[in-house]
Amino acid sequence: MAHPLQLGLQDASSPIMEELLYFHDHALMIVFLISSLVLYTISLMLTTKLMHTSTMNAQMVETMWTILPAAILTSIALPSLRILYMTDEINNPLLTIKTMGHQWYWSYEYTDYMDLNFDSYMIPTLDLKPGELRLLEVDNRTVLPMETPIRMLISSEDVLHSWAVPSLGLKTDAIPGRLNQTTLSATRPGLFYGQCSEICGSNHSFMPIVLELIPLKHFETWSALTS
Amino acid sequence: MAGTSLGARFYRQIRRHPALIPMISFIGLGMGSAALYLLRLALHSPDVCWDRKNNPEPWNRLNPNDQYKFLAVSTDYKKLKKDRPDF
Repeated sequence: MAHPLQLGLQDASSPIMEELLYFHDHALMIVFLISSLVLYTISLMLTTKLMHTSTMNAQMVETMWTILPAAILTSIALPSLRILYMTDEINNPLLTIKTMGHQWYWSYEYTDYMDLNFDSYMIPTLDLKPGELRLLEVDNRTVLPMETPIRMLISSEDVLHSWAVPSLGLKTDAIPGRLNQTTLSATRPGLFYGQCSEICGSNHSFMPIVLELIPLKHFETWSALTS
Repeated sequence: MAGTSLGARFYRQIRRHPALIPMISFIGLGMGSAALYLLRLALHSPDVCWDRKNNPEPWNRLNPNDQYKFLAVSTDYKKLKKDRPDF
């Protein structure tokens, strides 16, 4: 989850999110460099009494400010495309979970090895226990095994929603009548929070997602208990 | 007249403005890559059907070992095992 006043991305808990963090740092550094260069140039232009009013022929600077931006854009595009193709790779998921978006809650179906089906409503602010996070906690968390690729099949029963967990780098739209697939792979155990990311009505901000990632052995115990 | 063909006129303009050479080459590279990628999609994408009689629905004849995407970062498609039956 994000901490208060957080500006940047959340810590990565999946390999793809790590790649995205590095790429974001790279692209942001380029943006900062260009912006500071432009600001410096503007300040130079505005603080001189010199003037040059005749037409200039500036072949060298024209060449430089064609080649340099092209090189910068290429250095942004190549890692970006690499990550884009990486997110689409086949990775042999060991488990498939289906999640359906409703107004205004998520429901999860574990039908691989058991017959488990539950709804996940947000805990209202008045019912929160001390230490719980406002607008982020749910009554039934989605329990998953860590360090395993998991296939998430996402759809909706009514309007558009979007199933997002920022620290795992996931966001997939839940579209009624369509089945979208994404793969989830967490590198460490813990609770990972997300919120619905597509406007879906009055309680759009009040249908969060909480993933509880636990070691596989504990997941097997849990699934034996709940089925 | 000699020297009024398109190539000659282009060459004279470029000599007067050599700073345009990088721009033309980068734009050419970009448009060429886009055109080549479009050609690759048209010829190799399983979602495209050219021959309705002999190959009506190519998306139904996918192999698990073929690489359909342009770039494979960490998956070696040749090494994947084929674990489903043939139709």
